[in-house]
Amino acid sequence: MLFAALLVLGLALVVFGPPPPILRIQRVTIAGAGRPILPMRFAHDDDHRGIPCATCHHEFVDRRTGSTCMHCHVTDPKVSPLLERQFHDLCRSCHIKEQAEGKPAGPTRSCVACHQTDEEF
Amino acid sequence: MSRGNAVLAAIVGLVFLVSFASGARVGGGWFWDLGNALGFLGLAGILFQMIPAARGAATKRHERLGYWVLAIAGAHAFWFLLGDGAVRVYLQPGAPLAMWLGLAALLVLAPLTLLARMPERARVHRSFRGFRAVHRFLGFAVVGTASLHVALTGFYLTRWLQDALLLAVISACCLGRSYWARLGAPAVASAPAFAAAGLAAAAAFVLARNLGR
Repeated sequence: MLFAALLVLGLALVVFGPPPPILRIQRVTIAGAGRPILPMRFAHDDDHRGIPCATCHHEFVDRRTGSTCMHCHVTDPKVSPLLERQFHDLCRSCHIKEQAEGKPAGPTRSCVACHQTDEEF
Repeated sequence: MSRGNAVLAAIVGLVFLVSFASGARVGGGWFWDLGNALGFLGLAGILFQMIPAARGAATKRHERLGYWVLAIAGAHAFWFLLGDGAVRVYLQPGAPLAMWLGLAALLVLAPLTLLARMPERARVHRSFRGFRAVHRFLGFAVVGTASLHVALTGFYLTRWLQDALLLAVISACCLGRSYWARLGAPAVASAPAFAAAGLAAAAAFVLARNLGR
């Protein structure tokens, strides 16, 4: 009986999310994209100041500037399935490295620390 | 300390030590590290329960510890579902394999534990032999899915050496019936011993990764 109740509660949490005040994050579809993605808070003028642009922006090295990251990574059917893994690896590996070196680092694990739209942050 | 409790403490210690073999000071914050400590403790409990032994009269303690292990595994899952509003997305369509494996481990662990108790067991299985075969099969399924969940999420186990060490602990717990039999007493431990070992290991796990940061 208890197990059945927990199963229903778990299912409800997965479908509807935790009760407020915890933010409930949903996948959203960006125009032109095939797959819904999690919203992402990222601002250049915060703690990323001082990091060389080409660390993340490979298009500067490839000399393909002119469009946003999302243009390819979300809308290109060849790379969009890799979006989540690529960006998790890119962001997290740097945060983990900095934390391991004892420097102030960005989130290494907490999902909601990054996956919020700028307005919700 | 009884032999069973000592073996349990050793397994809890070993599972947590594997996580320290790389990035021992790298954490995800108090909330995440505590939730994941519950996960590692659940895995250690599952591995202890897998030690092959003829339990006989000690079955009751094996059963009781099973409830604790299930509760810890459930707490690990609900901890994140209730505390981080984005985690649920990783249990919805499109979620990574590691998360499906974690969910599968919990969903198999529940019937493995709950259908092993009497009188439910007698209703489901006509013979003890049939029950034992299914119970062992489900046990191996839980170990497989739970350990892959830990390895593939790849936050605390980031090097192949750690995966190899975890595999060694798993093999030692799940195989080698004759070697375990030489220990004498069947591998049973008390719930308070599990709680004490878990508390110590989880405290070390969380404090090492967050204290002084």
